[in-house]
Amino acid sequence: MLLIILWLIQDLLTVFVGGGMQIPGVFMLGLVYKLLFNEGSDDNLWAIWSAFAGGILWDLRWIGVPGFFTLSNVIVVMIVIQVWGTIPPQGRTSGTGLLVFVLMEISQLIPPMLPVLILGGNTGWTFFLIQQAYSLPAISVTMYLYLQRMKKTKV
Amino acid sequence: MDNTRNTTREWVHGLTALILGLFLLGISSGLGIVKNIVDLWGALLSVPEYPAVVMREIFLSWHSWSRDKNTLNSEVMKLRDENAALRLELAKITGEKIYSDDKNNSDIKTARVTLRAPMSWWNEIRIDRGEHDNITQGLPIFHEGYLIGRVSSVTLMSSWAELITSPSFLIPAVIEETRELGVVAGDGNGTVVLRYIPAGRGIKTGMKVSTAMIGEQLPPGLPIGKIAGEIASNSDGYATYKIELGADLSRFYTVSY
Repeated sequence: MLLIILWLIQDLLTVFVGGGMQIPGVFMLGLVYKLLFNEGSDDNLWAIWSAFAGGILWDLRWIGVPGFFTLSNVIVVMIVIQVWGTIPPQGRTSGTGLLVFVLMEISQLIPPMLPVLILGGNTGWTFFLIQQAYSLPAISVTMYLYLQRMKKTKV
Repeated sequence: MDNTRNTTREWVHGLTALILGLFLLGISSGLGIVKNIVDLWGALLSVPEYPAVVMREIFLSWHSWSRDKNTLNSEVMKLRDENAALRLELAKITGEKIYSDDKNNSDIKTARVTLRAPMSWWNEIRIDRGEHDNITQGLPIFHEGYLIGRVSSVTLMSSWAELITSPSFLIPAVIEETRELGVVAGDGNGTVVLRYIPAGRGIKTGMKVSTAMIGEQLPPGLPIGKIAGEIASNSDGYATYKIELGADLSRFYTVSY
């Protein structure tokens, strides 16, 4: 439910700005956040297929060709699962904040990068760089939520 | 043991999702059904997106007001009147019946571009107006007062428009200063040319190009752009000229009709 709401928020924000600026990928941030806390079943299959569904719906709405965000969302989830899986549950503390930041940045870096890499173009790169700048506040908020939750969990 | 099984399942599902994604990316750009699904999904989302559209319109109108919209509008109106007077004068001289653009500002409606697919970037766009808003097939669309395409298909809530840069968009056009007739054609890569102009007629860079009255689908006198230079002359004595479009097709989010 949270992911559906986040997807809609991302969509509504994109409609609101009307292409005037890039919107942070709050859907993927939410997905990564849930993955970090192992919300859902143990095998993380829900995350793979949620990323797939979110990506395909985004492609159909904003790209017109399904595949771009579908692929990149799944790639992000696979990276997060593999990297986060290497850290034992006992080691997942607020001390892993830097790694969590990197994972969240990856979730904002890869999805808009794939269409740019495939289609190219200077405008694409400019838009891509601007999106990264706009993503930082959203990543910071998610990091804050992560650290707050870690504190509560460990106390 | 369970952990290993979960990891294997994750890899299997992850790779399946990736292969499916690649498959979709590979086949979907050429499938007409994808366009229908895109339209359907866009129509479904138009309901939850409605508040964002309204908020955007409110914000934009407030923004325009804050930048002294009235001053700009009166300036535009003044220029339009001047342009209309010049066109009438030209029509009197040439005896040509030109397209009358005497609509009031309030008659010019705006539509938002809701989709411009990368695979057909220079060929078509989708706008958020359809039958419901009296859009009809063949209706010309404009940006910054210049022709940029025409409506190719209409649904209830949205329409697809073929852009002037599309290779299948061929329209008769006239060089206003010399009255030479030719055909405007796109190449699908952002370039628009004017073909079949007899060579050696003194065509110069900067001369204006507009739709010609011999076209059946578009009214004459719609401004397109200006001559940017000669590309080639063939052995039959006809030259091809590159056209610099009046509208910037690299950055437009709305169209007027």
